[in-house]
Order: sequence, then structure tokens, then C-alpha cells
Amino acid sequence: MRKLVTIVVILAALVVWSCDRSGSKNPKKITVAVIPKGTSHEFWKSIHAGSIKAAREFSSAGHEVEVIWKGPLREDDREQQIQVVEGFTSQGVNGIVLAPLDNRALVRPVEEAKNAGVPTVIIDSALDSNSIVSFVATDNRKGGMLAADRLGELLGGKGKVILLRYAEGSASTQDREDGFLQEIKKYPNVELISTDQYAGATRDTAKRASENLLNRFGDEVQGIFCPNESTTAGMLSALQDIGKAGKVMFVGFDTSQSFIDAMRAKQLHGIVVQNPFNMGYLGVRTMVESLQGKPAEKRIDTGVTMITPDNLDAADTQALLHPPLDQYLK
Amino acid sequence: MIAEAKSNWTISSANLARSWLNRLGPLLGLILVIVIFTILIGDPERYLSLKNLRTVLAQTVIVAIGAIGMTIIIISGGIDLSVGSAIALTGVIAALGINSGWPTTLALAAGIAVGGFVGLVNGVAITRLRVVPFIATLGMLGVARGVAKGIAGSQTVNIPDTWANDLLLTVPRSQWLLVAPGVWIAIALAVMAAVMLRRTVFGRRVFALGSNEAAARACGIATDRLKIYVYSLAGLLFGLAGVMQMSRLRQGDPTVAMGLELDVIAAVVIGGGSLSGGEGSILGSMIGALIMAFLRNGCQQIGWPNYIQEIIIGALIVIAVAIDRWRSSRAAIA
Repeated sequence: MRKLVTIVVILAALVVWSCDRSGSKNPKKITVAVIPKGTSHEFWKSIHAGSIKAAREFSSAGHEVEVIWKGPLREDDREQQIQVVEGFTSQGVNGIVLAPLDNRALVRPVEEAKNAGVPTVIIDSALDSNSIVSFVATDNRKGGMLAADRLGELLGGKGKVILLRYAEGSASTQDREDGFLQEIKKYPNVELISTDQYAGATRDTAKRASENLLNRFGDEVQGIFCPNESTTAGMLSALQDIGKAGKVMFVGFDTSQSFIDAMRAKQLHGIVVQNPFNMGYLGVRTMVESLQGKPAEKRIDTGVTMITPDNLDAADTQALLHPPLDQYLK
Repeated sequence: MIAEAKSNWTISSANLARSWLNRLGPLLGLILVIVIFTILIGDPERYLSLKNLRTVLAQTVIVAIGAIGMTIIIISGGIDLSVGSAIALTGVIAALGINSGWPTTLALAAGIAVGGFVGLVNGVAITRLRVVPFIATLGMLGVARGVAKGIAGSQTVNIPDTWANDLLLTVPRSQWLLVAPGVWIAIALAVMAAVMLRRTVFGRRVFALGSNEAAARACGIATDRLKIYVYSLAGLLFGLAGVMQMSRLRQGDPTVAMGLELDVIAAVVIGGGSLSGGEGSILGSMIGALIMAFLRNGCQQIGWPNYIQEIIIGALIVIAVAIDRWRSSRAAIA
């Protein structure tokens, strides 16, 4: 009996709480779902902050916009991300801003969303579909080319280089890898000794893949490129473990505090950074403007920059590296 | 002998009401979950709309079909940790088949058959090599995943548009179907499996094997062969789940469904299956799968973050099993 009473009390509390929540509904409010590939990388936190900045700007201009942030339950699982898109579609949000985990697998849910009256803006990685409002992303190929030039310059145009790939089927990292491989051909004395290893989705899998690569090539490798945050972090930590950090020229992609520290310690010699804050901002902005009837450009570039130990302390570098997360995320 | 049978019958008739209540336990859980979320979301028209139900049902199919196979295995006293990898492998096989120009039906059948083969290998490892199911299928988890990545060339295998892509459309092409064709396939298979488990000699033997293997063997059941059948049959179902996964992704993805075995096992356990064997029902497992799908969908619609979902589903598994144990201990006292 006492148990029953407890259950009833809990249920009653939930009902009261939910009534309380639904009290603040505004019919004119625009709700935009922002779906990242994952939520733990710092990159996605910047996108989140940027999207909230856009929402606040619209709201303070009198058009209330709410951003709902939700990633797949498992970071690299396409099926899980599809379920999130489908959930928002049946929930009836006004628009979706999506960073697709795969350029094909997410096509069906995005097209079904469109049929149900929910348009999608794609950010970060491409989607093979014409049913989208706009594609707002970094020019990843250019980012890979910047990395190749930096590595070529660091090695004086000569040396043995490893490319540790990210994960199968991710279009953005694929473009970076392709851009890197294309540009590195300009340095005929640079020899690629491994380009076929995939790191997998997490720092942990990346570290394991890096350790395996370094076991095999550790004595001869002179330059390394990693195409995203988790691969760079995994490789950096593997290099540090075997005392090779700083002895191998290392160019990474994306940013985190540990990369900046490594760069100051001369263990990391360059990172290509995107502008995820701007990507989140422009993604939501494009979505809302399109919902308000303004035509959207099909492709919007959000910019890439090479950061080296030399330009690390410049003011615009710092602004790029430290987007005002605290101001937008609590 | 007759007296004993009669007394058994009396006990069971006395407990009939309670046993029905027990069987309804998971269903009550499902209703409770739906009611709670309807209240929390505060928008029953949207949450219980056909649109949303279609979505949830289509999302449940893969876990549900996997759970049919897993229920049979768990009743037999075994476990299969290789489901997720088997789904990835069979999806890749079917996708490669379609890409090499095979008729779609043949390609899908090949995927399902490979699932059966994976199950067969599991069964042989468990019986002939005397490796416990947990370890044998843990090994297969790695092997099948590796083979999937290998034959797919560490890439996703994109497939052209065929009818296979329509199996799990949340809004089916033929409106009269109401829900995705895959949902009907899952329901049909669940009914067939339930009848098979309850009404056929094979089904009774599976229960006997899981309740007491030595006794089952003493009664003349060829337990080793039965186990091989069980794992192969479940493997065919995992193969079908893989085909469904391919249909949803429109590609064979060698990295998909990592950790899905845990969802599938959770569905069976929430539905009243016992990991020590001899207990479980298809209906319960289907409800278990639905409970998890409704939970996920509900958490998202409320706007709860992912970590809350994970905590809730984790807690739910323990609570469901604890209630089950509590009920059965009371039944034992009675």
C-alpha cells in the first residue's frame, strides 16, 4: 500500500511539473532542432553555442526562436542519428539543422522530414540530396590542402609521412584526406608510408590505431597528418606515451585545449581550424531566414585557418580558438 | 503419475490468474511508460498520433526481430553477443549482392542465409568445441564485424533504389498498409515464433534444454544438435534484422549496430526472459523492445538529454528483472 502511495505521489508530481512546463507555450515561436554527430567533442559545443547565439539574436529582434540540441545516443551510429531525425519530424519542429554522419544513410529521413513539412539545413558534412535548404560548412578540401602545405614546409619538402584516416563514410574527413593527398603530391620527395588506416570514432580507438601505426612505422616516420579532433588527440597521446612527441612533425585538425598546450610544447606543429561557432550560427540563421521566406544560398562556406606556434597568440587566432562558450552554454 | 499430473493441474489453475498477471507485467509496464510520457509531454494528440506511432514502430523493427531470435536462445539457456556484428555483416552482404546485379530477393536471401551461417558457426563452437556461449559469441562479435569491414573494404556499400529500400519507410508507399511493411513482417514472425515455442515439440524441447540441460539429455533430447538448430534459427532472424538495417540506411554499413546486442538482450530481459534459461516469451520480448523505443522517443520529445535516456533504460532493466524475481519468489512461497 505504501508503495502504491509513493507511486501515485511521484506521478502527481510529474503531472504538476509538466503542466508547469507547458504553460509557457508561444504559438508564434520557431523551434529549430540542431542535430550534431556527437556531443562530447569540443567542436560540437562551439556549434551549439553558435546556434544559440543565432536563436538569441532572432529572439531579441522579436522573432522568438528556440534551439533544441540533440545528438545520437551513440556517437558514430547512423541508425541512432536517423532515429533522432525521425523523432523530431514526428514531433513537428519547424526546421532541422543536421550534421549528417553519412552522406547517404541520412537521405531517407531528411526527405521524409521534407515530405512532412520539416525542412533541413545541412551543416559540417555533405548530404547526397537535393531536398535540403542549404549546405553550411567548412571547405574541408581546402583544409586538407593547407595541412599538406604546412607539413611539406615543415619537412623541407622531404620525408616519410603517415595519414591516419578518421572513420569510414564520413564525408567531411574524407574531403580533408583527399585534399591532403592531392596537395602533398606537390612535394615529390615526400613519401606516404601509410594512408589506409582508419582511427574509428573515439579518442580511444584513435589512440589504439595510432599505437599500432607507431609500432610499425615509429622509427622511420617524419611527418603525420590527422584529419579531425579525435584522431589528432589519439595520435598526440600515443606519441607522448612513447616519447616521440616533438620529434615527429605533426599537423592536426580541429582544436582543443590539449592541442594548444602541445603546440606551445612544440609537440604539435600546426592545426587546421574550422569555425564551428560560425557554422552553428549560420546554420540556424539560414534555417530561420528560410522559414521566414528569405531564399537561401545553396552553399555557405564557414572558413578554415592554419594555426601554427607562430600565429598562436595573435588576437584573431585567439578569438577563433576561444569562442564565447560560457556566454551561450551553461 | 496421474495423481501427480492432476495436482499440478490444480496448482496451475489456482495460479492461473496470477500467471496471467505475470504475463501481463511487461504490457502494464509499456502502458505505464506511454501514459507517463503522454502526461509529461502534455500533447497527447502529437505523441499518440499515427505519425509518431509509425515512427516508433519502424524504429523498433530491428531490435524486435533480433529479440525474437534472442528469446529462443535465452530460453535455451544460451546467449548471443554477436547480434550487432551479425546485423552489420548480413547488411553488407545483401548490399554487395544488390550491387553486383543479383535480383533483390536473392541478395536479401543471401544476407539472411549468412546470418544463419554465423549462427551455425556459433552453435558448432558452443557444442563441438565446448566453448561457453558467452565466449563463443563474444569471439564471433569480433570476427563478424571484422569480416564485414573486410568485404566492404572499410567503406559503406551504397545501394541503388530497389523495393528493399521501402521495407522500413515510416510512411509506407501503399497507404493501406498503415505502418512500414517491415513492421508487419516482424509481427508475423513474432506470432510464428510464439506458436512454435509453445505448441511444437521443438519449442518444448528448447524450454526443457534451458530449464535443465542434464534432465533434457536424460530424456533423450539430442541437446547438442538442438543447440545448433537454436543458434542457426536465431542467426537467420539476425540476418533478417541486418537486411532491415540495410533497408533503413540504404547502404550496407560495416560499423552499424555496435552495442545493439545489449538492446536486444535488454528487450528480452525486460520482457521476462531469464538469463539462466527456461523462461521467456516472444510477446514479452516484443513489449520489451517497444518499451525501449517508446522511452527513447518520449525522452526526445520532452527534450531530455541523451544521458538521461541511458540512465532510465539502464535502471529500467534492473527494475524489470527485480520485479520479476520478486514476483517469482512470491509465487514460490505461494
